[in-house]
Amino acid sequence: MSDTIFQLKDVNYSYLGKFPALSHIDLTIEKARMVAVIGANGSGKSTLLQMLDGLIFPDSGTVTAFGTDINERTFADLSFSRNFRRKVGFVFQNPDVQLFCPTVKEDILFGPLQLKEDRAQTEKRLDRLVAILGLGALLDRSPHQLSVGEKRKVAIASTLIIDPEVIILDEPTAGLDPMTTRHIIDILKKENSLGKTVITSTHDLHIVEEISDMVCVFGNDKKIVRCGPSSEILKDTPLLQAHNLVHIHAHRHDGSTHVHPHDHPSHEHSH
Amino acid sequence: MAFTIGNNFIERSITGAIAFLKESVFTDEYASRDGLMQSIDPRMKLVTSGMLLLTALLTKNIAVVLYIYSVSLIFTYLSKINIGFFLKRTWVFIPLFSLFIAVPALFNIFTPGEAIANFNIFGLHLIVTRPGLSGALLFVMRVITSVSIVVLLSITTRHSETLKALRLFKVPQIFVMIFGMCYRYIYLLIEAVENTYLAIRSRVGRQVHYKKGQQVVAWSMASLWQRSYRMNEEVYSAMLSRGYAGEPVVFNDFKTKPWDWMWLLLIIIICVIGVRFI
Repeated sequence: MSDTIFQLKDVNYSYLGKFPALSHIDLTIEKARMVAVIGANGSGKSTLLQMLDGLIFPDSGTVTAFGTDINERTFADLSFSRNFRRKVGFVFQNPDVQLFCPTVKEDILFGPLQLKEDRAQTEKRLDRLVAILGLGALLDRSPHQLSVGEKRKVAIASTLIIDPEVIILDEPTAGLDPMTTRHIIDILKKENSLGKTVITSTHDLHIVEEISDMVCVFGNDKKIVRCGPSSEILKDTPLLQAHNLVHIHAHRHDGSTHVHPHDHPSHEHSH
Repeated sequence: MAFTIGNNFIERSITGAIAFLKESVFTDEYASRDGLMQSIDPRMKLVTSGMLLLTALLTKNIAVVLYIYSVSLIFTYLSKINIGFFLKRTWVFIPLFSLFIAVPALFNIFTPGEAIANFNIFGLHLIVTRPGLSGALLFVMRVITSVSIVVLLSITTRHSETLKALRLFKVPQIFVMIFGMCYRYIYLLIEAVENTYLAIRSRVGRQVHYKKGQQVVAWSMASLWQRSYRMNEEVYSAMLSRGYAGEPVVFNDFKTKPWDWMWLLLIIIICVIGVRFI
């Protein structure tokens, strides 16, 4: 069986038929890879992730997932749709959108209940996730009482509980403190080490190297400008600068101010 | 003409409504205390509250209503709820309105009978009758007792649990889920209103012409509507993404304990005493 999970060929998508969001996208994602999608605001990252999760479908071009073309018709088939939802989990950018149940526990269990997963198995996974993410004290609370970091962890738990083969995350560390960011990175790396495919969109170049072995850079024209090994892409400062991903950075050393590109992957720089 | 930021009708209404909603609907401070009512299974609590309500509503004997009201106050105390807070919460609004409604029933025009007091207002000779007074008292006491029982149930039970307990009465899952989601997102929208209001306040300074003030309020209403509309689409996507296929399956983990059955027995005894012996 092929190791290809997703294959997109010449995909175009626009909102309301007039605001382009994806333009001529060609992309192949292999099993057990860690892929980061980076790009400036509004470059099409979130739209791409929603398409990979079968929430929107291309205006033209094809999207293949697990060897099957996906479109409205294939998702009308309940057994295909249920099977796809078991295999692909999506963590939304705004956790308030994802946490719609009255309590944290109900939110985490929403997916397995809809997918009619085995109860005993689900409870075992719940216990494991609660321990890993430290959610024990939050289970009976309402999502509106949680901090952003806690909400994000619950949103991740509500996705991981179905034990998907593919985990898609839309800016999972945006607005989080360093400790919570670290925790989330560790969880993603652990899931990948168990053979899961992890696809993440982010602006945060600090974390890209850790959460990806392949990086795709979106340009402002809604096209993927380049896809390649993260070690190569992150060194290509002109490419990152051209797409608003690094900036000129001024700071002080030993009483004098100087300016250089804010180049995250290498933590040391010459002066 | 201008209105002053910090002291105008709209501002006071917005902040007052937000504070009231947050305090009365969204706080589960009392529900998380370790008291009598909090220890009972929500389904059992719903059923027994219904029994107390029916006893108070079906009787024509004011002593029975007073007895049920006293029982509700004892339960309030045993549930570690401040009695002053509880009385304030239950006597304001509905019982006071019912008092006004009941006033005409006091007089001989509506309830003829034995006179106990009479007086003249603007040349109109009014007589307060004994059946009028007892009827009005029964009505007001019924209202206050019913409101007390419902308030006691609602503040000692987490909102989500009350909703889930509704399933006992065969309320369809989709309704339980929609109610739950409304509760969840009303809070989020209240926060959006609060933040929008703060953002406006941080930019407009101290005084705004009233016309501009009206525009600002209209804009923020429109923006809130737009935000809630967008969120509605996103939430639906999030539900689809996790396998929702049109018929929700709601999590149910209630388990009754021996204490819940003892509670049921206790309430039956209280109601029987009320109906048979008073």
